[in-house]
Amino acid sequence: MRRAPGRRGMAGRRALYAILGVGVLGAAGFMIFQALSTSLVYFILPNEYAQNPAQFEDRRIRLGGLVAPQSVLFDDERLQLTFLVTDGIQEYHVRHTGSPPELFKENAGVVIEGTFDASDVFMSDNLLIKHSEVYEAPEDGHIDIEALRESLQ
Amino acid sequence: MTTETRGRWERPMWMKAWAAVIVALFAVGAYLGLVWSPPDVNQGNLIRIMYAHVSIAWIGFVAVGFTALFAALFLWRSKRMDDVRAVASAEMALLFSSLTIIGGMTYSRPTLNTFWTWDAKLTLTALMVALLVGYFIVRSLIDDPVRRGRVSAVVAIVVAASLPFNYLAAEWFRTLHPSRSISLDGSGVTMAPEMLMTLLFNTFVAGLVYAWFMVDRVRLGRLEAQLEAERQAHEAVPSTEGGVVRV
Repeated sequence: MRRAPGRRGMAGRRALYAILGVGVLGAAGFMIFQALSTSLVYFILPNEYAQNPAQFEDRRIRLGGLVAPQSVLFDDERLQLTFLVTDGIQEYHVRHTGSPPELFKENAGVVIEGTFDASDVFMSDNLLIKHSEVYEAPEDGHIDIEALRESLQ
Repeated sequence: MTTETRGRWERPMWMKAWAAVIVALFAVGAYLGLVWSPPDVNQGNLIRIMYAHVSIAWIGFVAVGFTALFAALFLWRSKRMDDVRAVASAEMALLFSSLTIIGGMTYSRPTLNTFWTWDAKLTLTALMVALLVGYFIVRSLIDDPVRRGRVSAVVAIVVAASLPFNYLAAEWFRTLHPSRSISLDGSGVTMAPEMLMTLLFNTFVAGLVYAWFMVDRVRLGRLEAQLEAERQAHEAVPSTEGGVVRV
């Protein structure tokens, strides 16, 4: 069924294929990594926006951060949710149209989609929750803010 | 020959017993996940979906790993059984990774407030499912068993190459998907002990399910391979004129 070259020829060809295969896979992996890390930055942090707002002008962006304590207001008749989103360095006012999701609360991680208006208020139409990888029972229930903040990096 | 083949179609008794044990352990896992384990401080009872989602995802990764392992063995020594094992594992990999996405969507709608988003982790998982579908499409297009095994083996290895990226996606890239709670480098577990125990038990059961279907599918695959070889030997009958006649 298969050609039968000499034993050494076959082993040599196999080694060559193996080296080529590893090389191609390595290159492909590197390119995937590059593509994912540069173009698939899923969200930007408020301080990254603040550094260069012009770069994001008139563009729909995803902004990630924590809901600042004592900043949440919800008008349930007009379905307007306002809060401050912060990364610990920079904070922005957010106006979201829609009701808050179940896990939305102060100090929760959020990713919001929308645009900045002229007065630097973020107008969001999609509010996603980014929760941390910490899972615990409510009995010893405190939320580790530092771990939450870490999860946003 | 006929009676012998028919006898081998029968599933052995020990496999039936093993299936019964798995069903019982599955019930225990469901009890741990749905009743015994505590609710989460943030997610409440929604955390219970995690035990199904994460255990299935992990075993899906294991299935992809074994697929690539057997595929590489087939490339190395061209033993038909390695290809049979690779296919068996690939079928489970496709099933488990599809269930990972379905379970993930179920979990993510109430917790993250969306069914789907194109972050790195979810994109890589979708890619994994697409490539696994491609694996079977490629196989269906090639008749020669050796070539079929080789070409599909390359696909299997490419899928496996995406595993480390997928596994560490939430660490390496900014994603909506939460990071790992269990670090394999021993730097810690950010999960209550009861939750960890429930997750590990359910992963163990999912692993048993995978192993059972592997054994059963390899058993069937061996018969399929024999049947295919016999049919090809039968079809290629040398004619009296000296050529080959296709029957």
